[in-house]
Amino acid sequence: MKQKILIVEDDFTIQTQLKTLLSGNGYEVSAVTDFSNTIEQVKSFLPHLVLLDIKLPGNSGFDICSQIRTFSDMPIIFVTSSNTDMDELNSIMLGGDAFITKPYNTAILLAKIAALLRRAYHLEQAEVFTWNGATLHLESSSIEYNGQRAELTKNELKILYYLFKNAGKICTRNDIVDFLWDSQLYIDDNALSVNMTRIRGKLEAIGLTDFIKTKHGQGYTL
Amino acid sequence: MNGKLFLKNQLPVLLMNLTGMLALVLFLTANGNPVSVSLLVVVVWMAVIILYFTTLYFTRKKHLCKLLEMAEQLEEKYLLPEVMEIPERADEEVFYRILKMAEKSMLEKIGGVQRERKEYKEYIEQWIHEVKTPITAMKLLCENNDSPFVREMLAELENINRFTEQALYYARSEHTEKDYLIREIELRDVVHSAIADNKYLLRQNNVVITADNIDSNVYTDDKWVRFILNQIISNAVKYRTEKPVLRFFTVRENDRILLSVEDNGMGISESDLPRIFEKGFTGQNGRMIQSSTGIGLYLCKRLCDKLGIGLTAYSEGKGTTITLSFHINDFVTGVQG
Repeated sequence: MKQKILIVEDDFTIQTQLKTLLSGNGYEVSAVTDFSNTIEQVKSFLPHLVLLDIKLPGNSGFDICSQIRTFSDMPIIFVTSSNTDMDELNSIMLGGDAFITKPYNTAILLAKIAALLRRAYHLEQAEVFTWNGATLHLESSSIEYNGQRAELTKNELKILYYLFKNAGKICTRNDIVDFLWDSQLYIDDNALSVNMTRIRGKLEAIGLTDFIKTKHGQGYTL
Repeated sequence: MNGKLFLKNQLPVLLMNLTGMLALVLFLTANGNPVSVSLLVVVVWMAVIILYFTTLYFTRKKHLCKLLEMAEQLEEKYLLPEVMEIPERADEEVFYRILKMAEKSMLEKIGGVQRERKEYKEYIEQWIHEVKTPITAMKLLCENNDSPFVREMLAELENINRFTEQALYYARSEHTEKDYLIREIELRDVVHSAIADNKYLLRQNNVVITADNIDSNVYTDDKWVRFILNQIISNAVKYRTEKPVLRFFTVRENDRILLSVEDNGMGISESDLPRIFEKGFTGQNGRMIQSSTGIGLYLCKRLCDKLGIGLTAYSEGKGTTITLSFHINDFVTGVQG
């Protein structure tokens, strides 16, 4: 089942772009368009999580937050452009779960959403990915094929994780480096090449030849 | 009080007395009194005058010196009428009224300026609040439509965002009231978010980054530190050389935690180094690069001073290390301050 997210944001561009971003990441998204009865829309959509702006026409985000809290414990992320301490304190006092200031880093926003949803609904995070007989174990940081195992470094694991998650699709070098940066691993293009060579060596050692294919001028794919 | 000037001011009285004396002497002589009587009268008269003027001089001097001292001790000199005694002499009373008037107009002016500044600050805060909406919208638009061209725009957007933040923190640093919130923060998180704030800028310039081994918690305001780190990162990119490298690391030293940002850029010359935190100072590097304003580091220093963070720069020909030093033990005073 898809997780539902409600966007309460009065700027139209941000609203639509957030919709694109979140639905692209596998969420079911709805946005409030009529701010006179936000609460009814929350009640009818029953989202798993709310992205809430503070400055809104009509009731402020703080009011909406405290109203939601009267009937639900759903995670609420305050997304605002004012980064004063008062607003941040208020948002915590009223039961907001996170406070993110604009302009936000989308990777951080997505990570926060995923983390809050996991915590609130006790979702299991997939620890194991399988593709063409090879299994990637996140917890033990290793890859397994035909009973043979290879240990992976942090960088190698993250690269393979990204490729497994997007298995079948072409991942550009830029996408991979972006993902690594968002995971706080600051790797440049050269280091990516080094890591790819090392990963291929390890894969070959456990009998996975040509597991990662290079699409010339485009990137990599599993 | 100047004695000569005092005498000069009393000249009419003195002349009047002398004329009186002369008239009396003439009158006595005309009436056939001996010279000795005239002499006696003159001597007694003179003695009385001298006594009168010396007492007058010294009492006035004492009184006025006290007033002068009082004024010197006051920090806001224009408030003198509030603390001085209301004078009883007719002329002093007029001066007192003049002082009162001056004080009142001064206070009105100060109030006006303060109000204007407060309104301006509020306007700046609000403006920044508003400009962040289109920046956010643009950033989302760009990130949803990735392309090499868009990546360059994203790097520019990061610059725009940093400049708006600079205006915000400038407005905040000008204000005496406290705009920060001290709490325990993990330095690692702040460093990573500062890097994330400049992700596209750093990637576009192929900056190699190491930020391992940052495991310290300090008591400070994370937003301010993040802003300071952003300025330092942008400087490192601005004054980069080929193959730029940026290294973040912490060191524990007695009761301090030192967070250093080390780059391999063009460095700061020895003669410029002591002045880099001055407002408007751009130095040799700044003259080479047009976009130097001399505001970034000045602002960092001001914010650090407010938060009680030490800020030092070290450079030896090539490369620069900027170090923030956080006290570990004085966070309690930090909270109260």
